[in-house]
Amino acid sequence: MNKLTAYSITAVVVFLFGVFFIYPVGMTLAVAFEGEDGGFTFDYVISVFRNPVYVEGLWNALMMGVCSTLVSLLIAFPLALASHRWIFPGKKWLSVLILAPLVLPPFVGAVGIKQILGVTGALNAWLIDMGMMHPDEPMDWLGEGRFWGVVIMNALHLYPILYMNIAATLTHLDPSMEQAAQNLGCSPLRRLRKITLPLCMPGIFAGAAIVFIWSFTELGVPLVFDYTRVASVQIYDGIKDLNSNPVPYALVGVMLIVSTVVFVSSKIMLGKSGLGSTPRPKTHDNEVKLRGVKGWVMSGVFLLVFCVACIPHLGVLFLSISGDWYGSVLPESITTAHFNEALGHPLVVPSIKNSLIYASGSTLLDIVLGTAIAWVVVRSTIRGRVILDALMMLPLAVPGLVLAFGYIAVSQKGEPLHWMLGEAGNPIFLLIAAYAVRRLPYVVRAAVAGLQQSNIALEEAARSLGATPMRVLKRVAVPLIGANLVAGSILAFSFAMLEVSDSLILAQQAEHYPITKAIYSLLSTLGNGHELASALGVWAMVFLGISIMGAFVLLGRRGGSVFRM
Amino acid sequence: MSGFIRQWVNSKVIVALALVLCVATPILLSRKQEGGNVKVENADRRISIVTPHNETIRREFGEAFQQWWEEKTGEKVYVNWLTPGGTSEIRKILNGKYKAAEKVGDAGVGIDVFFGGGDYDFRQQAQAGHLAKLEIFAKRPEWFKQDVIPADFTGELYYDPEHQWVGVCLSRFGICYNVDSLKRLGLEAPNKWSDLADPKYFGHVALADPTKSGSVSRAFEMLIQEQMHDAIAKAKQKPGETKEQLDMRARSAGWDRGINLIQKIAANARYFTDSATKIPHDVAQGNAAAGMCIDFYGRTYEEMLKKEDGSSRVRWISPQGGTSMSVDPVAVLRGAPDPEIAQAFVEFLLTEKAQLLWNARPGTPVGTQYRALRRMPIRKDVYIEENMQYFADPSNPYNEVGSFVYKSELTGKGFRSIQYIIRLMCLDSHEELKDAWKKLVTAGMPARATDIFSDTTLVSYQNAMGAIRRQLNSSSKIQSANLAVRLGKYFRRNYKLAGKLAEKGEGSEK
Repeated sequence: MNKLTAYSITAVVVFLFGVFFIYPVGMTLAVAFEGEDGGFTFDYVISVFRNPVYVEGLWNALMMGVCSTLVSLLIAFPLALASHRWIFPGKKWLSVLILAPLVLPPFVGAVGIKQILGVTGALNAWLIDMGMMHPDEPMDWLGEGRFWGVVIMNALHLYPILYMNIAATLTHLDPSMEQAAQNLGCSPLRRLRKITLPLCMPGIFAGAAIVFIWSFTELGVPLVFDYTRVASVQIYDGIKDLNSNPVPYALVGVMLIVSTVVFVSSKIMLGKSGLGSTPRPKTHDNEVKLRGVKGWVMSGVFLLVFCVACIPHLGVLFLSISGDWYGSVLPESITTAHFNEALGHPLVVPSIKNSLIYASGSTLLDIVLGTAIAWVVVRSTIRGRVILDALMMLPLAVPGLVLAFGYIAVSQKGEPLHWMLGEAGNPIFLLIAAYAVRRLPYVVRAAVAGLQQSNIALEEAARSLGATPMRVLKRVAVPLIGANLVAGSILAFSFAMLEVSDSLILAQQAEHYPITKAIYSLLSTLGNGHELASALGVWAMVFLGISIMGAFVLLGRRGGSVFRM
Repeated sequence: MSGFIRQWVNSKVIVALALVLCVATPILLSRKQEGGNVKVENADRRISIVTPHNETIRREFGEAFQQWWEEKTGEKVYVNWLTPGGTSEIRKILNGKYKAAEKVGDAGVGIDVFFGGGDYDFRQQAQAGHLAKLEIFAKRPEWFKQDVIPADFTGELYYDPEHQWVGVCLSRFGICYNVDSLKRLGLEAPNKWSDLADPKYFGHVALADPTKSGSVSRAFEMLIQEQMHDAIAKAKQKPGETKEQLDMRARSAGWDRGINLIQKIAANARYFTDSATKIPHDVAQGNAAAGMCIDFYGRTYEEMLKKEDGSSRVRWISPQGGTSMSVDPVAVLRGAPDPEIAQAFVEFLLTEKAQLLWNARPGTPVGTQYRALRRMPIRKDVYIEENMQYFADPSNPYNEVGSFVYKSELTGKGFRSIQYIIRLMCLDSHEELKDAWKKLVTAGMPARATDIFSDTTLVSYQNAMGAIRRQLNSSSKIQSANLAVRLGKYFRRNYKLAGKLAEKGEGSEK
């Protein structure tokens, strides 16, 4: 790749990233490095490490990240491999259904879990009905669950990220490699370890990096379990403390550094596929049909994962149609009143329109920027491209509140980004920028994984035949990584639709609310707020579900498997 | 024919149809905002109000104000609600906006009114010079008399002496509890704060977070003051002791008892939250047996879950003693884009019509459009038979509150110290605190271990009002952070030691 092109892409991207990410975040974090005399200081960062509670919080966060990633991998890898290798009853639907965690809306997801796992929740009610639990001594799953509860919930929420990335990677896998190993008498386990796993590494790394940073900084799940000694919760509490104190901001700085170090070091260790990029396989005919019981068992496994992952969804769904739901397996009475009231609320229709605009705008931006960055990272030889790559992961590690307050700070009158605020304080550009920045890592990771695996020889051939770089990109490179891009964009779009902090803080006027803020507003309705919010949450789930399904139907030419194009 | 069907019914069409149906549903269900059908386009004027009030309150008051203004002037006003979240977000945004405005020399920040939150936040904003003087005090002096809006009540200010903010409704913290859960745990219904210190509540108390809200912090302060009042009342002069010494000794003893009480309640706590709806909801669902809850949330849940026989699994009570009634104020922001309408909004909130909206039931002549708000109006003169027949909670809070009076001179200047101490003693050390408490209770509260557990010498009354307060008010944040580390270590060490002693059974001999 032309160095000049690489440098100019890098320059543009770094500029945009600097303006829309580093600058606003820096504005918020500046207090952590400003001494009492106004000069620069590391005192606050040092004081983070001098406080045993913060050190323990950081350690717990790190463990939470590592364990959640491993458990997600344990769920996602076998599933992705199975769906790559075998055909089994209902595969077409099951491989879409297991992406369900992606559509879980915020706020109400926590409410949903509590309905099921709470002291008087559905699970305890069922256990009591079955005679397996004494009614006077119900299990406090959430109160007792703590660390492992958080890890399991994280894993069940995040495994689709790994699944999609691995599934996209597997499409590049050359079956002849595996066949060769098989012919030479390699045992299936050894083949998995020596051939399949190394070849999948770019995808595993892409997904695992996101899952790790996500769960390392996850806030909502620990809060559901009231698990407070973890860095993300400490930051959240500290930022909202009445006695404003720079230490939580210093803690954010520390978390950013830890995320970067973990990312860069694991990239150096794992990110490279030892086998280089292989030619794209010509056939997909290596899918084996599982017959009889085996097939049904496989379908059962998929269904089981789907059901367990859908516990919060079920909680939300039942809550949205329940009259009262307390101490029983199913709601005591069913009503559609909450749906009528919630969906009929004047906030809702405009919020749907707004969310669609914000999320599609940001996803489009992400696809363009993400592909460009990935190209520089993988195809160019310029120095510091690893740093560029690591930089792109940082938006995942910054707490939403920090970025949001940063945007508020830099968009005030007289500040450089004031022009981003539209007429009458319309935050559309701010929100698109904020969503795009926060969701960029998904697209970058997916595209990097795709490019690492697609054969550069094809691009070189096109160029030597006289194609312009633009044409190479359009006709060769992008189609080759299409599956990865689709996976990345689905993640970026879904999570943009469900973005919390930026939506709450930046969209201040009712006419600009996205769906998440409408859910949040309904939640505060006196009395049946949880039910109303759940009803809108169910709508959002259905809508996102159909949208993802639509993406599969439109793009997948063969039986809904979008990753084989 | 079947060819036709096959041609048109494929997965693409099904998905497209599902999508259309999905989007159409809310559009079909959407109601026009009755009464409040004023859009940006057809409005003559616009008022921007920043508020932490919930959607239910915003909707009722927004529409009622539009109607009131139109009747008065014939103008249509668009109410632009700004809701960045709770009071902590509002505080950050207002402070940030004023800082930016001062930089470019603007007087205001494009917002007219700040409505709702605790008086703490309003005092802070007034102190920062972000509030404008209210005209209502000059325009309607008859409203600011003892029998309409008193200047203060139970020791709480009801409007700013400088006339920069005024309270519009009352609220107080109480205890909400789940009848079923108490029965299961073998507990009597609580009727005062100290009941929540019963070890049987372990892991079942939901507390509001005093570090994030001024009014929660005030509630904890009350708890301490209650103990101090009690100690002062019961103190007996020792031989040779002066009156001042006696007073100081009683105050210190009361303070210690208050701090220890908070420590025990916190040891029983499941969590500390800044979400107002979380506590009543968790109590209603049995995830917590009892919790600290503002009156109107507690009452709403109690009412909502009422069965046909009139019983409800959620009950809300106002604890005996130790509760004061504070106000939710309103203020006009400095440099408001439309000061006339901003001042008018304040006037509207204090009219009898608006005051009645806080509690009158929907469907009654003076009631709300959609839902009962279940809050208490500030004006004393609206609590008359004629109005109260329409109230959702037909009782006069001015007659209900007991003899308790908040005394600022006791703990007022240590407001930030109290937050700071609770954070270090209970929130940051919650794991160790719970663990030690559990072991102590299991071992039957052995004396020595219990003494170590409840050792609060470093945060004594004198320290809290003296050294700690001075440190927090000084500009050195790094010193404050260091002090936090020191105090935090001290508490955690005590808790671990107490737990260990209790476990070993060594604490019993003394």
